[in-house]
Amino acid sequence: MKKEPGWIRKIFINAGEYHKTMTSPERYRRFRRTLFIVMTATFLIPLILTTMLSYYEHRSQMLANLRWNAESAKKTIETFLAELQTVLIYTASEQTYEELVDQETLNKLYQRLKSHYPGVVDLGIIDHKGIQRAYAGPYELLGKDYSDRECFKAVTASKAFIGMVEMGYRKVPHFAIALSFFNLNTGQNWVFRTSIDVTTLDKYIENIGTGPLSDIFLVSRKGEPLLQSTSHQYGAPLSPYPFELPHNRIGITISEERGVWDYVVLKAVSYLEGTPWALVLLKHGYLYGKDWSFFKARLFFIVMLSTVLALLVIFQITKLFVGRIREADEKRESIMAEVEHTSKLASIGRLAAGIAHEINNPLAIISAKTGLITDLLELCEDFKYKAKIASEIHGTSHAVERCKVITHRLLGFARRMDVTLENININTLMQEVLSFLDQEALYRGIHVDLDFGKSLPIIESDRGQLQQIFLNLVNNAIDAIGKDGKVTIKTRKQGQNSIQIDVVDNGKGIPQEIISHIFEPFFTTKDSVEKKGTGLGLFITYGIIKKLGGHISVRSSVGVGTTFTVTLPIKINLSRRVHNVESQSPGS
Amino acid sequence: MSKVKVLVVDDEIEFATTLAERLNLRGYETTACFCTEDAMALIHAKNIPDVILLDLKMPRMDGIETLEEIKKYNPTIEVIMLTGHGGGIPLTGAHREKHGPFDCVMKPADIKELTTKINQAMAKRQTAINRGKD
Repeated sequence: MKKEPGWIRKIFINAGEYHKTMTSPERYRRFRRTLFIVMTATFLIPLILTTMLSYYEHRSQMLANLRWNAESAKKTIETFLAELQTVLIYTASEQTYEELVDQETLNKLYQRLKSHYPGVVDLGIIDHKGIQRAYAGPYELLGKDYSDRECFKAVTASKAFIGMVEMGYRKVPHFAIALSFFNLNTGQNWVFRTSIDVTTLDKYIENIGTGPLSDIFLVSRKGEPLLQSTSHQYGAPLSPYPFELPHNRIGITISEERGVWDYVVLKAVSYLEGTPWALVLLKHGYLYGKDWSFFKARLFFIVMLSTVLALLVIFQITKLFVGRIREADEKRESIMAEVEHTSKLASIGRLAAGIAHEINNPLAIISAKTGLITDLLELCEDFKYKAKIASEIHGTSHAVERCKVITHRLLGFARRMDVTLENININTLMQEVLSFLDQEALYRGIHVDLDFGKSLPIIESDRGQLQQIFLNLVNNAIDAIGKDGKVTIKTRKQGQNSIQIDVVDNGKGIPQEIISHIFEPFFTTKDSVEKKGTGLGLFITYGIIKKLGGHISVRSSVGVGTTFTVTLPIKINLSRRVHNVESQSPGS
Repeated sequence: MSKVKVLVVDDEIEFATTLAERLNLRGYETTACFCTEDAMALIHAKNIPDVILLDLKMPRMDGIETLEEIKKYNPTIEVIMLTGHGGGIPLTGAHREKHGPFDCVMKPADIKELTTKINQAMAKRQTAINRGKD
């Protein structure tokens, strides 16, 4: 037999304690509890792991989606600004400084640009001293001094500049794009400056399309973060943005943020190249959104349903499993008790036989001696105490006779352990058997009908064992009826060499599916609670009949009754029969 | 008519001698032996009994072995087994018919039952002897 691993033994059964507490209820309770816990853990651990994996997989997909959206938005805005710069450079390069400071020329240029880019607020030409020499636009800004403004300083150094959103002289939020050119005639730099309305930026950003639950806007990189475009959550441009921007200026930084309405949003921040801005993309509904809530509710429902179902199934399985083990243990214990009882009876039988044999010999001597005295007294002439002596000897003989009856009974009991052959009238034997069950049949209202064959041959068999066989069969018939019915015993000659005995009852009958199992050991249909059946009766009966050279068969019909037919040989060859029995089994 | 020769073989000396005496009183010519070796020596000495009352359990050579020896030597000698215990005679069928004992009597035996069986055994032996002569 394969030995189970040590940890299983530790968890379930301490084998050493198995026999000590074989049917202790506490042992089964403990076993059932342990089995339940182990099975539940075996089921729940993979379920929880799978659920956690699904949860994090879903989250990582959301993050990836956000990153992709932010990347896409960053590229779109950068492309827009680059395109705008290219257009301005191209436009400015077509004219000389002298031509552009001409108001009419600049106005035409302004109108042309405005027609293509409505967001262009105005155009200005600034000389090398920072004075606006020409201006086209809705404001009175001609001659304004820009020498102190950051855009003038920055563009002089780097040729191109995009400024932060400011109110400036115009008192409306806008941002400036300034380009620096070199005048070959004067040998001085001059600046081409244009202001772009922030609403242009807003409209452009709105069209990027990052989903209905998103908020996308620009924030200034320098100093205190200020909004550079309109945010659904934080308001109009130049409103303060309450969070610090990440230090990492390369790539996209993703983090969580508790927004103004006190719910957590997922945030992606990316710095835009060549601008003073950072792009912020907020994904609303990250934890409380419909999609996420639905996902969580569905996941929770599946996990709970699976857990409840699993717990129910595991509970039932462990209950059934432990119940079966307990039943088997109880049956085994009952069989052990039966075997012990049988063994005890056999020991008593042998002991009784030994005692009887030892007593029998001196008893035989006493019997022989008293017999001889009686014989001699009969031969003697009368003398004074002859009658008295004869009477005393008779008393002694009578006592010996009583002892003889006792020892012979003891020896008869012991003899049942072996096969002892004698001549038997089967009808008489059946009468003897029925005399044991008369009272039982009477009490249950069962009529016993005898249909004995006449002039049946005397058979050679073992009386005690035949009694056991028929006692068992008639007892089974009475049990099958329960109350009020009829048992018929039929005997007749079968062929030349055997006789047949039928035990017929009109009880509940045996279903066809179990009829082939009834001679198997430990098979019983009697209620085990009442401890009436051990499942050994018909098995032993079958074995004895085979040992005696006979045969047993059964016919049954549910609701009609059952007939057991026993065939016994008239003459028995014991040695051959014993050999045959050893090579057969009831199931074969 | 000559007396029926009976040989009682039993290791219980008191029982064997008393039984022999009682049978003698009833007209049998009875001899008692207290071991199987003596009994076999007596038979081999051509002092052949008609019926032997043989105890089943005896030291050295038990009743069954002695029975086989006797039947081997002369199958017409009838043997009645005397037994003090519950075990049966392990010979059955045809084998029992030819080589088995005439009968088996449990101790303590009633003298009337015993003499009846001796007479029946004698009748059977006589029949066998007559059949042999024919």
